[in-house]
Amino acid sequence: MNELSVNHLLGIKYLNNEDIQLIFETADHFKEVINRPIKKVPSLRDITIANLFFENSTRTKLSFELAEKRLSADVINFSASQSSVKKGETLIDTVNNILSMKVDMVVMRHPNPGASVFLSNHVNASIINAGDGAHEHPTQALLDSYSIRERLGDVKGKKVVIVGDILHSRVALSNIFALKTQGAQVMVCGPKTLIPKYIDKLGVTVETNLRKALNWCDVANMLRVQNERMAVSYFPSAREYTQQYGVNMELLNSLDKEITIMHPGPINRGVEITSDVADSDQAIILDQVQNGVAIRMAVIYLLASKIKQ
Amino acid sequence: MNVLLKSATIIDSKSDFHNQTVDILIEKGVISKISKRINNTNDYREIHLDNLHVSQGWFDSSVSFGEPGFEERETISNGLKTAALSGFTAVAMNANTNPVLDSYADISFVISKGQNNAVSLYPIGALTNGSKGENLAELFDMKNAGAVAFYDYQKPIKDPNLMKIALQYADNFGGLICSFPQESKITGLGVVNENYTSTSLGLKGNPNLAEELQIVRDLFLLEYTGGKLHIPTISTAKSVSLIREAKKKKLDVSCSVAIHNLFFSDSVLEGFDTRYKVTPPLRTQEDIDALIEGLKDGTIDMVTSDHNPIDIEHKKVEFDYAEYGTIGLESAFGALNTVLSTKKAIDILTKGKNRFGIASKPIALGVKAELTLFNPKTTYTFTKAQIHSTSKNAIFNNVELKGSVYGIIANKKVVLK
Repeated sequence: MNELSVNHLLGIKYLNNEDIQLIFETADHFKEVINRPIKKVPSLRDITIANLFFENSTRTKLSFELAEKRLSADVINFSASQSSVKKGETLIDTVNNILSMKVDMVVMRHPNPGASVFLSNHVNASIINAGDGAHEHPTQALLDSYSIRERLGDVKGKKVVIVGDILHSRVALSNIFALKTQGAQVMVCGPKTLIPKYIDKLGVTVETNLRKALNWCDVANMLRVQNERMAVSYFPSAREYTQQYGVNMELLNSLDKEITIMHPGPINRGVEITSDVADSDQAIILDQVQNGVAIRMAVIYLLASKIKQ
Repeated sequence: MNVLLKSATIIDSKSDFHNQTVDILIEKGVISKISKRINNTNDYREIHLDNLHVSQGWFDSSVSFGEPGFEERETISNGLKTAALSGFTAVAMNANTNPVLDSYADISFVISKGQNNAVSLYPIGALTNGSKGENLAELFDMKNAGAVAFYDYQKPIKDPNLMKIALQYADNFGGLICSFPQESKITGLGVVNENYTSTSLGLKGNPNLAEELQIVRDLFLLEYTGGKLHIPTISTAKSVSLIREAKKKKLDVSCSVAIHNLFFSDSVLEGFDTRYKVTPPLRTQEDIDALIEGLKDGTIDMVTSDHNPIDIEHKKVEFDYAEYGTIGLESAFGALNTVLSTKKAIDILTKGKNRFGIASKPIALGVKAELTLFNPKTTYTFTKAQIHSTSKNAIFNNVELKGSVYGIIANKKVVLK
């Protein structure tokens, strides 16, 4: 198989394992490209991509833009801190206006769950979800799995714990779907207030004790505490959170084995992980960032090849 | 108005003519003769319809028509026409207009707009001024104007003392107090049922707990205050058992369920389709089973379409931004007749009036004709072709249903499709 089963990347839940492996194999090639002296290929010279960010983003937006430019696509950027509805224009109208300027592909970040699914049902362009509310962030999960594969050889059979604010996290949800699809075992760990009540129905185990979770796992993916998404306080203070769910070097050294530490960024140093952990050899946080460009190049390339058909 | 209905099967378990296929003569709006065969000696209008069934006119205890203030969604005139073509001879209209119906004048306005119609329109007054949940509206005055109950439509009364006072105060004049079953702090920003679907879609969950906690509160209050409480649109299995227990204790409580909550589980939300965005949210199959059981054993007193027209501009948007609600009058019978037997569906559609102080009589000679004409056997896919409402936000769009409506005879008028 050399093409994706989908025309959009709306979420990991819409992909099968063959899709994921195809993206990884394609990313292997692009990772080699971006480490060359000339980091660019002419593959998408005839493709125009709009990056629509209805929510703040730094690294995801940069990563997408870089991926698009490395593929020689034409790129336009649209950022709005306010939602389109609040400005009086609907999302469909906003996007159709941009598409009428002959844009082929839309990369969208949006604060509402399902916004990319909604858009894909109503506009005529290939859509890549760059994060929609607490729903999915598929390219993040793909680059996370890709980084595990790079570090540990394979994702299948590995034990991965996702630590922190699972309730508000699209990264957690996409990672759960991606890891389960590839045959990994998944655990979530955090205070009960930040774990969805029915998360076990997604086939993951729940552990509220961090030490037990870390002793179980091969990889710990430490999520950022998303204060900006919380309407109420789910724990009394950052200090108390760190006491229970912060990873420090002392804790890591006390485990039976050496585990791999991941973080989707941006890190709250001293909250979910200490600086010495973030900067240690066990952490692959910067590898994740580099792999993000290769993964996004792969996704864009594979979806663009479907447009051209 | 004089009409002769030919070969009509009467479905009315309280009538002596139940299950009989007869001719029905209606003269000057009154049933004057029921017999195996009636000769049309006076050359009245004859109505022959395929597999014609006739029942007492149906009642819907919760419809929204948008007038005044949201006429782009629905007007009273077209809303009543929709009700008639959907088989309803009486509807209770919610106060969720702009301005909210919270005064004698507002209630009088709605009543005047509904006059001279085949369908009888019964306004529900707001429980609090502007439905803001702060101060009681002039309930007694509104009752005198014709309000049949008091309800801040789909807005929970957050203050327990306000609910206590409302129940006590309305008991002075037999007023029916309605309380939307939702504890808003527990609901938080929840938009769909909290379950597997909400978790996998990243949509904020509205747990069963929010509904049940409010019902427990209101039942405790009712036990203390006395009075008449109606809980509109329950949706969870535990809500059914809570109300079942309360009725065993002889509390004066009634409740309804929205027909779509009997039909769809939250799994339909997978595609983020906003037509499924309703409140209370679609729950699970276990809840549906318990709700149907509650209907069968009489714990749930009535069903409602909870007809709520929303214009496309407020539905064709991102899920979180879309408004709650679906139209439901047109699909009400077909949906109910699909999940229940025809006899049970008709029993339930003709119940509820008494609770709202509206008289009803079984089909008999000398009784004012207030009849629904239908065919319980037809099967079809519900589409926009069946929609008469101004707004088209139908949750039942593209769903297979069984049973269609011909129309009604009521208030000396005949309305047929």
